[in-house]
Amino acid sequence: MKTRRDFLKSTVLGAGALSLTPYFNAFGAAPAASGFPKRFVFIRKSNGERPLEVALPTFSAKDKALDEKKQPLEVDLRGHELPVWLRALDKHKANLGILQGLSCMMSENGHYSYSSIMGAYKSNRNSLSGIKRATIDFELAKLFPSPFGHVELSLTGDYSKYRTGIVSGYSASGPHQRNYCYADPQTAFNELFRAVTNPGAVDSDNAMLSFLENDESFKERILQGYEKQKLSSHITSIEAIQARNLKLSKMAGSIARHIPKLGKIHADGGLNASSPEKQDAMTDILIAALITGLTNVVTYTIDELSTPVRGLPGNEADRISIHAIGHNESYGGVPADKIRENIRIGHMQQVARIVERLKAEPEGKGTMFDNTMIMYFPEGGETHHGHGTEAPFVILAGNNCKLNLAGRYIRLPFHATEGHKTIGNWYTTLLNAHGNPIKHYGDLDLEMARKKLDQAGAIRQFIA
Amino acid sequence: MILRIPYIFFACVFAAGHAFGAASPAERFRVGEKVVPLLDNYCVSCHEEGTTKGEVRLDNLESLSLDARLDLLNRVQEQLHIGEMPPKKKKQPTEAERNLLAEWVAKELRAHGASKLEDKLRMPEYGNVVDHEKLFSGKYVGLPGFTPDRRWLISEFIFEAKFNQLLDFVGQRNIDGKRQQVIGDNNRNGINLTNPFLLPTHSGVRYYDTAMLDGGHLLTMITNAKEVSAFMIARAKKVKTYVPAIEALMAAEWAHEKILADRESYLTANIESLLRELFKEKNEGLLPVFVATKREPLQNAIGPDGKVLKNSVFAIAASNMPREDMAQIYSAIQKNSLNGDKDDALILKCEKDWFYFGVNERAIQSRVKFMRGYMEGLLKAMPKSEPGRAPKAPAESEMAIIRAAILKHRKAGDRYNSILEKCMADWTGEFRQERLKAGGPGDVATGNLVEQLFTKLIERAPTSQEKTEYAALTKSYLQKLGTEKTIEKLIQTLILRTDFVYRQEFGEGTADVHGRKMLPPRAASYALAYALTDSSPDKELAAAAASGKLNTREDYRREVERMLKNRSQHYVIDEAVERIGLNDSFTNLPIRKLRFFREFFGYPGLLPIFKDNKRFGGNYTDASARLVSEADMLVAHILEQDKNIFEKLLTTEEFFVCHTGDNAAMTTATALIRKIYDYFKDKDWKSFDAEKLKVHIPFLKENPMPGLNLDAIGKVGGRSDQVKIFQGMMTDYTLRLGNRTTVTAPFSSVFGVPSPAKTRTGRDMRGSEAAKSFNLDMANWNYPATQPAKMENRKGILTHPAWLIAFAGNTATDPIRRGKWVREKLLAGTIPDVPVTVDAVIPEDHHKTLRQRLEAKTQDEYCWKCHERMNPLGVTFEMYDDFGRFRTEESLEHPDNLVKKMPDKGSPQADLRDIYKTLPVDAKGHLAGTGDPKLDGDLKDVIDLAGRLAKSTKVRQSIIRHAFRYFMGRNEVISDSKTLMDADQAYVQSGGSFDAVIVSLLTSDSFIYRKAATN
Repeated sequence: MKTRRDFLKSTVLGAGALSLTPYFNAFGAAPAASGFPKRFVFIRKSNGERPLEVALPTFSAKDKALDEKKQPLEVDLRGHELPVWLRALDKHKANLGILQGLSCMMSENGHYSYSSIMGAYKSNRNSLSGIKRATIDFELAKLFPSPFGHVELSLTGDYSKYRTGIVSGYSASGPHQRNYCYADPQTAFNELFRAVTNPGAVDSDNAMLSFLENDESFKERILQGYEKQKLSSHITSIEAIQARNLKLSKMAGSIARHIPKLGKIHADGGLNASSPEKQDAMTDILIAALITGLTNVVTYTIDELSTPVRGLPGNEADRISIHAIGHNESYGGVPADKIRENIRIGHMQQVARIVERLKAEPEGKGTMFDNTMIMYFPEGGETHHGHGTEAPFVILAGNNCKLNLAGRYIRLPFHATEGHKTIGNWYTTLLNAHGNPIKHYGDLDLEMARKKLDQAGAIRQFIA
Repeated sequence: MILRIPYIFFACVFAAGHAFGAASPAERFRVGEKVVPLLDNYCVSCHEEGTTKGEVRLDNLESLSLDARLDLLNRVQEQLHIGEMPPKKKKQPTEAERNLLAEWVAKELRAHGASKLEDKLRMPEYGNVVDHEKLFSGKYVGLPGFTPDRRWLISEFIFEAKFNQLLDFVGQRNIDGKRQQVIGDNNRNGINLTNPFLLPTHSGVRYYDTAMLDGGHLLTMITNAKEVSAFMIARAKKVKTYVPAIEALMAAEWAHEKILADRESYLTANIESLLRELFKEKNEGLLPVFVATKREPLQNAIGPDGKVLKNSVFAIAASNMPREDMAQIYSAIQKNSLNGDKDDALILKCEKDWFYFGVNERAIQSRVKFMRGYMEGLLKAMPKSEPGRAPKAPAESEMAIIRAAILKHRKAGDRYNSILEKCMADWTGEFRQERLKAGGPGDVATGNLVEQLFTKLIERAPTSQEKTEYAALTKSYLQKLGTEKTIEKLIQTLILRTDFVYRQEFGEGTADVHGRKMLPPRAASYALAYALTDSSPDKELAAAAASGKLNTREDYRREVERMLKNRSQHYVIDEAVERIGLNDSFTNLPIRKLRFFREFFGYPGLLPIFKDNKRFGGNYTDASARLVSEADMLVAHILEQDKNIFEKLLTTEEFFVCHTGDNAAMTTATALIRKIYDYFKDKDWKSFDAEKLKVHIPFLKENPMPGLNLDAIGKVGGRSDQVKIFQGMMTDYTLRLGNRTTVTAPFSSVFGVPSPAKTRTGRDMRGSEAAKSFNLDMANWNYPATQPAKMENRKGILTHPAWLIAFAGNTATDPIRRGKWVREKLLAGTIPDVPVTVDAVIPEDHHKTLRQRLEAKTQDEYCWKCHERMNPLGVTFEMYDDFGRFRTEESLEHPDNLVKKMPDKGSPQADLRDIYKTLPVDAKGHLAGTGDPKLDGDLKDVIDLAGRLAKSTKVRQSIIRHAFRYFMGRNEVISDSKTLMDADQAYVQSGGSFDAVIVSLLTSDSFIYRKAATN
């Protein structure tokens, strides 16, 4: 006998609308074939990332010339110093890949990228209809389901203060679907670890769902045919969410073991918390969300142009505007370039903490980091007013990650030349390497198209 | 040829234990003797080993697993139903034979509950499967029309309108200088909702009753429900009439909160004096020891070149400070500068205050640093207004409580905020206890809550059973959650009910002889309201439903006609159009009337198409939204006239280009440019300095040049140098009017200078390069201020650049999609899906036109049987490029064909396109399928096609069919024949009124009657 679920699977009904089912399918707990899921952390930063600042200071003269001329280049990181701001990753060079030369012209939107950079399209000033497809993080989340499916964190603001609570995010679960994100550590903490911090709220959710299930089931019994299917679908959805809540409740023990301690400074949105404190707390939450298995994919907007930077080492008492330093304004006697570097140093300290914490967490015969990839990249290309011809990626990948780029500085052919790769190629590579055979993810680059240069598909050299 | 298998009977074996699996010899089926020769005669010769046309074999059914066999039979059933098989050129079965075959396939599929056809036929893409000639033959007008009883998932538009109404959010626009409320502005402040009910993005009818709520929808709605419930409670606190029952339940808690807030506010303002009063000479000794923050020397940064780098100016730095900090700084300066203290002494006093108040140390540090760096700016920017009035002293009984609490809680070394917190915690606890003692809300209060929340959220009163159930639920929540959380949970529960997210359309009352029942008045009022708008019934409609005036066809007619005439409500058409190019996008037509044509033609599909500025030869991004906005204006303009709507839409030669729809404003603005140009053109304006320009101030006062500030002439340099602005504008005017042009478009081509005319909502006019898509030379275009105006080489909306771009790719035209659109939307035709085995890519060859490459790819018989329905129509559009520009030569864009590289940047008047070799465009095609021999035949181009389509009865009827689907939310079936024919006749007899079509459809049996579904 067919269950309600089987029945719904076998019908084409519902296909008339944009179905959110694929997104919903990211909420599960099916482990990957290897037994351990792959994990992905996307860290978005604002204000561009200038390619020369990512270059290795110990390049040979020849490599330096190639790099500056944007010529293809590959250098083993062993025996090289990292730029000052990347030094927190010194211990992890074997897992580090510096990827230069990817372009993101198809996602350039001026100061802000919104969903564009992770969807490889133009988001048209953040209009909903500009969201063309699920962003890469959601695509990966579908491949590695988890109880939360996907978690988005952000530290953004309105120049004078940080946003708090649950607010609009930058990722997209599908076309025209803007995700939400946790905008301050306390909110993220409360929402993610609710099974431990507020089991009463989970209970009351379940009581509500149970009431609705009974109520709709009663209506379903008196219907026939097509209308019965609609109610069945509604009830099935309620049941699925109940099952997910149950799963979360069962994870309470594991969550309790790994739940981070959050300082009082973060209460009520953390009005007085400094930027480093906020970043530290978000990192703790991010790590705990991964270790507990609540999610396998996190997108973290570590800053955007309107994030108010406070308590930055060297500028402790200054209220820094990232936008203003993008226009070269200095603060407290510190030049804008130095502030930019200090901000990046802070970011890398967070990345290093994630790596080190996951390396300390056993998983199978190795550690959790073995199955993790962290990507740190600019939302808007190479400068404050990005052109999109370059978007440097700093990548950390564990030993089981199916990509061959760790331990190297790689510069790909420059934009709109033979062999050039876009973020679309990069995301296609991620998807192909992890089980989604998509031919090409994202919009194509129009200058490449105009020049009739081949640009579809994965970056073969990276697929291990 | 003999069908081999049936004579030995199919020995397909059925699944044991589950529906789809391996075959079992226990269950057998056989092909009936009458069916065998039919398969043999009409099918197997093409579908057997060696001749597996379409990758289909029918001679090996016995070896297929059950699921494979059922899959195959589903394909057979679909082909039989839509009449695709046998192919037209082959021998055809009689109607009786076809029916016999169809019945056999259906029976076999039904036995396993595996038929997909019935479900598929509900889908929009199968709308045309019902035979057009049958529908309009008149043979079936006797069949009783009805729509099955149904729930209809709300659309993305209804979702927004519903929540806007629920949350009292009213969008506004300043339209023609008047503040207007608009529906469709969804930029709600203070609440973050995600719309899960998105419609598909294809052209045509998008909103069907087939959609079902799934887990993703529900999960999103749970999050939305939580947001909304908190918002509603806050709203109820603010607005007493919002949901009075919430106020009643929360009254005690809110009264306590008010007392607490008053005490807090009074204490914050007066704690210093209160402490002095209460502790007298001991007070100083109880204060904490003040330690000033360390003062680092202030310095400017030094750049790599040794030069001093700039710090942020005051205004920028102040905008980076939290508002609360700025307010505190101003307030502290005001208080502490009274006795003449300045600079460091003043800052120290302020700091001390903040220290005692317990302001966070970092906040103090940054305030102090800011004051040290920007004292001059601060003093200049001090708010002029008097400081706010100090909170009134509470009554003596309250003062006694406050004093007692301070005396109880103050400890040595406490900062003020610490004392305050302890007092507040104490009082909060006392109040909580007091409420607990008073007991929870009684039955009346909970009953009122259920009733009012039902009315607010479900928009009807609860039934008595619902009242009982929800009262019990409320009590169960109260036991665990407390009052506020209980209310929140109840709101969430109601939002997640099916009747919140589904429209309910079930017939009621006595069934007629056909088993049909009319919609009850309330459901009818919603059906009518949602047919024309996205909102719940307006007052008149709701009143009609409540007073028994929505029971007859005439009642429906009265209300529909009333709503169609209404022009008092404005709607945002498309928020994306507003955002991308900062264009206007509003209408006061009933929104769903305009939206039908918008979606039917699908020209908003332009918006997500990413196109290359270089290939456009200018700024395409801003132009793109203008093109959609002006296509909307054109459709609205034609609809407003309500005469020969379809014909005009298909053949109009008049368009809006770079226009706001306000002819008077455009005339005034263009005349102004002309006047200024004429006044200065013969003067030596290029060598003007400030003094020379000032001579002309009297003229410029009368005829203000956009962007020019007469008071600032000679006073400001750099970007704001008024002489430079003037000369920039004159250069622009000269470029545009220095030819033979007499009138130029009211745009500004100078960066940062506003346009001489504003849009109807008062924005700058942008996206002037939309004109390029109409082949207009912006440096030499006699701008028609009165529009719509005739444009060369255009005929109808299908030649509007917005439509042409929407049906093009990123870098090339798309004759297949264009032809498919015409075939399906205008000629009621069907085109099968692209077979999975087909590589649907046109090969690259930069020595050929796209048409030549397309023909090479699709000419073989297998491809052509489908492509012949699309290509001969689609290629006629080749007279336009993928930006909608008319052309006689096709540019072979490939680096090998580059003739001249053009600059990458230039003024909007410049054409920045690189020049490539070209080949002549061939836009000839062929029209078949109108059913009218006078119209069918070879086509010269799309202008020829548009003219013929507009004359076709079938085209008219095809649009009527789509209108039916749009307003009914489903595909037509044969019993809707009368409804369709009536609507068609209403159009014809009214002289082409679309309002007449709407009235006819919404008063038809198909709309009024419902019938219960059966198994």
